[in-house]
Amino acid sequence: MAEGAARVLAVEDPEEVEKEAGRGARIPVVPEGAEWNAVERGMLERRSIRKYRKAQVPAHVIRRLLEVARFAPSQGNCQPWKFVVVRDADMIRGMEDFCVAQCRKLSEAFDYAALPRGSLKYRLARIKARLLGRLQPNALHPVPMSVATNIAQGRFAVFHRAPTLILILADKRGIGSPPIDVGICGTNIVLAAQSLGLGTCWIGFSQLLNQSREWCERLGAEYPYEIAETIAVGYPVGDTTHMISRATHETFWFEGGKKQVLY
Amino acid sequence: MALLTWLERLHFPDWDDPSQCMFHRVTIDLDKCDGCKLCTLACPATVLEQYGEKGRKKVRVRADVRGCASCNNCYAICENGAIEATRHYDFVGYYRQLGRGEFMKPRMF
Repeated sequence: MAEGAARVLAVEDPEEVEKEAGRGARIPVVPEGAEWNAVERGMLERRSIRKYRKAQVPAHVIRRLLEVARFAPSQGNCQPWKFVVVRDADMIRGMEDFCVAQCRKLSEAFDYAALPRGSLKYRLARIKARLLGRLQPNALHPVPMSVATNIAQGRFAVFHRAPTLILILADKRGIGSPPIDVGICGTNIVLAAQSLGLGTCWIGFSQLLNQSREWCERLGAEYPYEIAETIAVGYPVGDTTHMISRATHETFWFEGGKKQVLY
Repeated sequence: MALLTWLERLHFPDWDDPSQCMFHRVTIDLDKCDGCKLCTLACPATVLEQYGEKGRKKVRVRADVRGCASCNNCYAICENGAIEATRHYDFVGYYRQLGRGEFMKPRMF
């Protein structure tokens, strides 16, 4: 190897650098079986909130949430997000109406399970759902489709009548995968909100607003921006902090030349 | 070995067939349920409803609405520990769940 190349590749021992800089040498391992700390507890106690008190969240609290969002990690530090805060009930109602209308179209076109079995409409919707499902398996999934029907039939609200909405727009020109960065950024928002006694809910159905030129213009969701997610924010009704059960997930663990499967 | 067979990948489950789309894996302990209705507020799938006469109200799973996602929001809001999802929803074919273990509360290591 050429001498120059070797010099470029040589990496200094980071611990040596740390020691020379006079920074701490203690390794902070949490003891086994220790109680959840505040951050862990917040993550475990957070649930998606869909019923909010009418009281508006003070503006300075929302500014705190946007402030922690700004410091989220992103690919290449590209920060491919733009926040839109909506706190006017009339405007939220307008957004709700548009999304409900779109859900009604979606439900009528595809959700054969909500139609009389065996009818012509049922059969047509089923064929459409099967064909399009192969192209868009994430959208035409049984779970969101049943939610679309609940919204269409008035059993469920898109924005949950939350007093504040934080829309996160993604800059399509971001590095790698902007929607992932939006998710990471929004996680800062919802966990900070949890720690401040607020409830939040991710609203993917808000992407339907991208289908309206009028709403896109008003919300600034024009190229290169698109609405990636919306976070509803408000004070929750009911105490939802009892820790719940969830499925464990198969996890591969490679160590010491062996593979273990953990759950 | 493939995690999903080609046959599975090509099979889209029928949304209205409970043997292909398995939801509603939630159990309600009627002795503990006081019919307070908080869980019906928390349920994202709107599958819970209150029923019964005044003073003896309870909550049940609606027969006409599908899509319980086993999220356990009902458990989280229940003061009496009367309702709980104990298994994840699952499908036959393309959407079959992979690598899911038992339902467990947060474990401390």
